[in-house]
Amino acid sequence: MSKIIMNRRQLLTTAAAAAGGVSTFFGPWKHNRVLAAASDKPIKIGFTSDASGQYANSGASDRRGMMMAIAEFNEKGGVLGRKIETTHIDTETTPATGSRVAERMISREEVGFMVGAVSSGVANAISQVAQKYGVIYLNTNSSSPTESGKNCHRVKFVWDGNGSNFAQAAVKNAISAYGKKWMLLTNDYGWGHDTAAATKKLLAKYGGTVEDEFLVPQGTRDFSSALLKIQQASPNVVAAAVGGDDQKAMRQQVAQLGMGEKPAWINNQQDWPDVYGLPIENLFGVFGTTWYYKLDLPGVDDFVKRYQAMYPDTKMRVPGNVFYNGYMATKNLLAAIERAGTTNNIAVIKELEGHKMSAADRMQHHDAYIDPVTHQVQQTIYLATGNTGTSDKDDMFKILSNSSPDEVKDEGAPGACALESYDATPTFDA
Amino acid sequence: MTQLAPHIFNGLTLGLLFALIALGFMLIVGVMEVINLAHGSLFALGAYFALTLIGMDPIADTGFGQWWLGLPLAPRYIAALMFAPVLAGGIGMLLELCLRRTYGKAPLYGLLLTFGAGIVIEEIIRLGWGTGEQYLQVPQAINGATFFLGSIYSKYKFFAAGFSVFAILGVWAFLEKTPYGAIIKAGAHDSEMVRALGYDLSKLRLLVFGFGAALAGLAGIVMVPIWGLRPHVGIDVVIPAFLIIALGGVGSFWGAVFASILVGLTVGVTGAYASAWSMMSMYVLLILVLGFRARGLFGRASALEN
Amino acid sequence: MMTLSNISPRSQQLITPQIILLAALLLSAPLWLTAIGLYHYIGLEIVIWLIYAMGFNLLFGYTGLHSFGHGAYLGVGAYAFGLFQQEIAVSLWGGLIAAVAIAGLAGIIVGLFLSHRRGLYFALLSIAFGQIFWFSAIKMRWLTGGEDGLLNIPRPELNLIFTKVDLNDNVAFYYFAAVILLVLVILLWRLVHSPFGRILQAVRQNEMRASFAGYEVWRFKLAAFTISAMFAGMAGGLLAMAQQSAYPDVMAVHQSGLVVMMVLIGGGLISFWGPVLGVILYFVARDVLGGITETWLLWYGLMFVVMVMFRPEGIAGVLQQLKPKSAKDASIRRQVA
Repeated sequence: MSKIIMNRRQLLTTAAAAAGGVSTFFGPWKHNRVLAAASDKPIKIGFTSDASGQYANSGASDRRGMMMAIAEFNEKGGVLGRKIETTHIDTETTPATGSRVAERMISREEVGFMVGAVSSGVANAISQVAQKYGVIYLNTNSSSPTESGKNCHRVKFVWDGNGSNFAQAAVKNAISAYGKKWMLLTNDYGWGHDTAAATKKLLAKYGGTVEDEFLVPQGTRDFSSALLKIQQASPNVVAAAVGGDDQKAMRQQVAQLGMGEKPAWINNQQDWPDVYGLPIENLFGVFGTTWYYKLDLPGVDDFVKRYQAMYPDTKMRVPGNVFYNGYMATKNLLAAIERAGTTNNIAVIKELEGHKMSAADRMQHHDAYIDPVTHQVQQTIYLATGNTGTSDKDDMFKILSNSSPDEVKDEGAPGACALESYDATPTFDA
Repeated sequence: MTQLAPHIFNGLTLGLLFALIALGFMLIVGVMEVINLAHGSLFALGAYFALTLIGMDPIADTGFGQWWLGLPLAPRYIAALMFAPVLAGGIGMLLELCLRRTYGKAPLYGLLLTFGAGIVIEEIIRLGWGTGEQYLQVPQAINGATFFLGSIYSKYKFFAAGFSVFAILGVWAFLEKTPYGAIIKAGAHDSEMVRALGYDLSKLRLLVFGFGAALAGLAGIVMVPIWGLRPHVGIDVVIPAFLIIALGGVGSFWGAVFASILVGLTVGVTGAYASAWSMMSMYVLLILVLGFRARGLFGRASALEN
Repeated sequence: MMTLSNISPRSQQLITPQIILLAALLLSAPLWLTAIGLYHYIGLEIVIWLIYAMGFNLLFGYTGLHSFGHGAYLGVGAYAFGLFQQEIAVSLWGGLIAAVAIAGLAGIIVGLFLSHRRGLYFALLSIAFGQIFWFSAIKMRWLTGGEDGLLNIPRPELNLIFTKVDLNDNVAFYYFAAVILLVLVILLWRLVHSPFGRILQAVRQNEMRASFAGYEVWRFKLAAFTISAMFAGMAGGLLAMAQQSAYPDVMAVHQSGLVVMMVLIGGGLISFWGPVLGVILYFVARDVLGGITETWLLWYGLMFVVMVMFRPEGIAGVLQQLKPKSAKDASIRRQVA
């Protein structure tokens, strides 16, 4: 029985409701929301990452990344002389909860910024509310192409590579290496479908064929009928867009059945928390990622050490891509506030739009930038596979290649995205 | 259609698994005329108890814990398979004690009480075991894949289906072939008779509910390696159990087994043609049947209809 | 045990003191919600769920039909509203009428199957139909947006003849929803005290006797089912506006169970006003307890279990018992007379 992700749990871990009982909230109209213009008041950031459901693990990792960036700024004395405070409410990997949490964060907790997402459905729901109030929202880890396409918003910035980016990095090479007959395994929600659509487009472009597409409902644990279909169709390549715990179960069952080598598996994007600690046999196939803790670049080792110093008790001994995105997004937001010299949302948005980040700062191989048209970070995309040649349990990936942002650009996004104008976006000082 | 055969086989397996899930639910509704909406939570609870019995997390550092974890997985798994359902049965008995307040009132109250109890148990699971996905290990002998008539099947599903057949026959034999079963069945139809024979009806109900809860826990242990283990896994479970009882008819043992296999086959065969809709097919099946036969395929009159 | 008909009907009155109290509470709420640590969106949620729960209690409390799949019609209403805005026209009343009509249509179709059933099989079938709606909403991506939901539903402006009101503001929208709720409450109050309402109660108390009295019982069950589905549809339309999206979650069986819990805890079995108490308690508990402890649902669930065991009449029942004895006697006398 596939699934229901219960929509009922609301954790308030750091609910240090700053304003207390008798706060006044004036509504979303222009210029009348002056939460904290007085400069000694802390800046409040709401974490909207999932703490239960399909992406609970990734949500926790995401949050650790944000916390580390904030801790680093607070150590330096905060931003614009103001300390940064945080609050978190569980979004339960459920869009309806995302909506409600965002309403509550903005009107009751009075946050100035919101950060965090893994599920695209949730990110979508949050960003709709955020746009209504003009609150800047960082989608840290949801990689559905629609997030920076038809569901883009002026207040939303997308920090992960998306399904289209990863597909471009992988599809062409995989056709020539493994063959033209492909089968798609698609998680039955936005990210899965959008990613599958990107893959199909590239297959058509480079002469591949889609034999069959098998939809995997969220919450699937038994993949035997999917695997039976794959066995019957015997494609050259299986392109999977399956995420979270579903993907963990899928990897385990494919490995069990010895189907990891043939056909060839392409997993669009491999989030680190989804595979960390799994046996290396489960890590078959080729997959995409935006960052790896053993990239041979300056600063990476130090970053890993800072992670380990801050989180000595975490089961995950090294940071992964989800942590990295949470960290980078938050750090760049705070830096943008500093550059803007104000917490005015429009000023900060303008500071972020088109912002260039050097390869050294990003600890990636190529320079990156925030696309002013789609609000997606254009960054290096890596392809990797399971690292069988080491006894280091943490060193699970072998990086195969890297592509520059321009090589893997999501061509469909600019046409699909229509950002709201600045005037249509309520403005306030956080 | 050689292509269809594996799907029929898959459906048959699924049907047997559904029967295992429905077994405890059926017992309680058939004998006590209580719709146990906590069935799914007890199912999950059984699996979590097994998880702890296998891993001994709370006392892993003690001498006993070390000795236990030094044993191979197989004996630990078998111990869990035996004792975790007993623990779930104990919780079931506690629930029955609460349920006593609702006897003699409309069946709605039993339904509501167990719905609330289900939520409470689920929350306790979240507190005790956390909200994330967990993995129940199974011994190597029943893990992995096998080829059967040229198609791939998981060995574990064979094990689970076989186990289910064993459990169905066991419960049937208990009800039909032992004096206890006779008393339980008498209690279902004629509580005066049971009392007249000198049996304590309240003790009987306690045992039946405990037994039903234990069966729910047992089904949980067997099913979660296939369906995954998370606090709300029970909700995915109580629905098919529900449908199967409605389809087979309340109070009919073989009706429920037959309905399970029918549902399994429907889901399996639909899966061959329209995989995305396969789970839907069971609801359509139910509506078709109940549209024509109000009491399901083999149901008899029940107080629950009032 | 107390039942609904023990309560004095006051059927002649269009507006009772309770209705005036509710109106005063609802209309003044935006002034004091933030002062007691709540926020406007939660007020909006409460109003919407009140519409849903009060309509549901016509079926659950009055007619005695225990539907566990009623979230389906809430969801259908939400999708109907959203699709109307996106496919036909951006129109407040058009959308709300579509929400009520489509949910009512779904209610009639399902009601035709259910109206000859009672007890266990009614509950079972209501769950099965609820699941079908939920499942279809997830699978029909082309129509509903699947699990991600139907997004970007506008809040159309309210066109009063002399002025236009922008409902994008939560407070303005709250007032709009509260007025709809009040109108529906008055309608419902009339309905349950009309001859129709009395027949529904007769069906609950003894279906057999009601049919011997010459009523075609199934028609009344069908009507009750459809009306409560239409209430759910209206709530769904407003919910789509509140969230500016429609999601399948509300249609899942667990969510349908929640409304049953709310109605019962409040005392819907014995009082017209039970659902009001139940819904407010649930949302305030979710927000206040939920802010203090992660395990609030555990305590809520425990409270529910204890209530079913010892006080199935719910909060309304407790309040009734607190009333001075003489008043109670008087009310019973009045009813007998």
